[in-house]
Amino acid sequence: MSDRVMADMPLYDKLSILSDAAKYDVACTSSGVDRKGDGTGMGNCSRSGICHSFSADGRCISLLKILFTNECIYDCKYCVNRSSNDVVRASFTPEEVCDLTMEFYRRNYIEGLFLSSGILKSPDYTMELIYATLYRLRYVCSFQGYIHVKAIPGADERLIRLTGFLADRMSVNLELPTAEGLRLLAPHKSRKNILKPMRLVQEKTRENRQEIAVYKNAPRFVPAGQSTQMIIGATPETDYQILNVAEALYKKFDLKRVFYSAFVPVNSDKALPAIREEGPPLLREHRLYQADWLLRYYHFEAKELLDEENPNFNVFLDPKCCWALKHLEFFPVEVNTADYRTLLRVPGIGYKSASRIVKARRLGRLEFNDLKKMGVVLKRALYFLTCGGKMMYPVRIEEDYITRNLLNTKERLPEGTEGMTYRQLTLFDDMNMAAVHSAGTDFQ
Amino acid sequence: MKQVYICNDTVTGICSALYDAWKEERHGEAGIELKGKIQQQLFCEYKTVIETEQKSESLQRMIKRNLGYNAYWDVYHAILSDDARKGGAVFRMMQEARRLDDSTKIMDHLGNPDVAKVFELSRRVSNEAHVYKEFIRFRELESGALFSEISPKSQVLTCIADHFSDRFPLENWMIYDKTHGAFLVHRAKERWRLVWGEDLEEEAASRVSEGEKKYERLWKGFFESISIRERENPKLQQTHLPKRYRREMTEFL
Ligand code: SF4
Repeated sequence: MSDRVMADMPLYDKLSILSDAAKYDVACTSSGVDRKGDGTGMGNCSRSGICHSFSADGRCISLLKILFTNECIYDCKYCVNRSSNDVVRASFTPEEVCDLTMEFYRRNYIEGLFLSSGILKSPDYTMELIYATLYRLRYVCSFQGYIHVKAIPGADERLIRLTGFLADRMSVNLELPTAEGLRLLAPHKSRKNILKPMRLVQEKTRENRQEIAVYKNAPRFVPAGQSTQMIIGATPETDYQILNVAEALYKKFDLKRVFYSAFVPVNSDKALPAIREEGPPLLREHRLYQADWLLRYYHFEAKELLDEENPNFNVFLDPKCCWALKHLEFFPVEVNTADYRTLLRVPGIGYKSASRIVKARRLGRLEFNDLKKMGVVLKRALYFLTCGGKMMYPVRIEEDYITRNLLNTKERLPEGTEGMTYRQLTLFDDMNMAAVHSAGTDFQ
Repeated sequence: MKQVYICNDTVTGICSALYDAWKEERHGEAGIELKGKIQQQLFCEYKTVIETEQKSESLQRMIKRNLGYNAYWDVYHAILSDDARKGGAVFRMMQEARRLDDSTKIMDHLGNPDVAKVFELSRRVSNEAHVYKEFIRFRELESGALFSEISPKSQVLTCIADHFSDRFPLENWMIYDKTHGAFLVHRAKERWRLVWGEDLEEEAASRVSEGEKKYERLWKGFFESISIRERENPKLQQTHLPKRYRREMTEFL
């Protein structure tokens, strides 16, 4: 393997190889921490995160996303860098990573660094290199921008802890939603091994919170929290299983974010699904993100959105609409009196509009006209709301009728997921079509 | 007869006009029009405002004191927008605030069309300012200083000044707003300044450092290789990053 490592490879080529190899990692946000510069170095962080560009696939570029090395002793079936693949291998030096980060940051190309890595020699050896890089970036280059770093499963706990004090966010990838999936596709990894550093980061974060409470200047341990990601569609799990896993991670591991990555085949392997003619399962990925949002900001629980009988999201309607249609007894709700959490459950009302409504109605009764200015999407919300006891139009609160109407108001899907033809839709035959049974014909 | 105050399209100009209007017409009707963008109306009396920093500052203090900092923030941003009716909207919003029991709640009163207008303008400007925090690109000049050119619709320079000062405290940098002919200038370890009425020295601004070309090329290479071919989606890219910004972005040049 190492004979494929070229000595003195130009930096340009290294960067191409090691960013190309990192691109399947979906987390590129720089959010979760607010930090001003202290005037002695370069950089700061802003809580909501900053995107700096958008690549040709329409994804945000916020961080310099690279692998430290694409050498790897493991052989995960879904990964380009697996040891059995014959690809050109390259490794950065800590100095090179620091130089690229600083010079890109100065030009406002990036918000910081996302450093992942293949396993070079051993987990400890790799983690040490990562630590050395971050140490240099923070203390030699005085970099105060955002750093997202991977904790390498199997590495010495002390190394992971030390690294955590230099990073803003740490992540360990769950890779596949279930232990079974992992056994199938990543023979060198185990669920236990992955959850261990996750637990470590969680415990250290809690401990750190107390340290900070006691003395304010205690160093911060991963202040932007930890995240993880799962590959969607490489193994046969249902959306229900996946969402339950996500929920458990939020509740039991205090994760800040769970990312979902539509499977893109890069290797052909009999353990992997065949290449889909229609490309990666982007709509499915999108539905999972919508549902994830409902878990984090709308006080929904996984079991409210899906169950054993309906284990997958609807192709035609977003998860919130689906929930509302199954719970018509809950509606209509009165805009002028319903509490915040109730408003959150109304399709067409986002969490920002819900809080604007709550504030604005203290100053006077709200009419349907006012709602528009607050960002409410009326063409969806109108079936579920009253203003002063009246609905906007005389509508029937009846599942088939509302379903048909909601299907006619086009959902704003991200480009690329919406150009789906019926032929492609039939490929989602494992999805739940029951709720749109009567109206689904509109699409044929 | 309705009094119309004419001023320059700057913070000082509009705030001076608001100051005069508030002093003379707060119980009546007043218009605020921008030089060069005046819409003549019948039955109005036009008056050119004498613009001073004192008036402007005193008006801004008054807004902060009476309407609270959040409303001030919205007013300030609205004033930087490229909408010719911004002054009038702010004036009537201030009048509306007087009618409330608690004037600091004025921005929650979105049922009022002028409040809604100020809110909308403020959002538009702060969104644009945010976009420039994202998309501004600096190049390193021979002197080592960082330089950037932008063409914003609103006067966003003062909205992004603190952000970049905090971020690059030890660097000399400058951002040139081509639309409004203004410069934001930051010297290492000093406070930023806004400079009007200077010309850009095109030649000096185009002499970049040796390292500049190297890092531009590295960045462009990264920009290419980070995209996933199977997910390629120019329309989505376009939604997030409209073409008009790309003319000033390294990776698209
Ligand atoms: S550990 Fe597995 S997923 Fe990570 S680089 Fe190695 S082969 Fe790829």
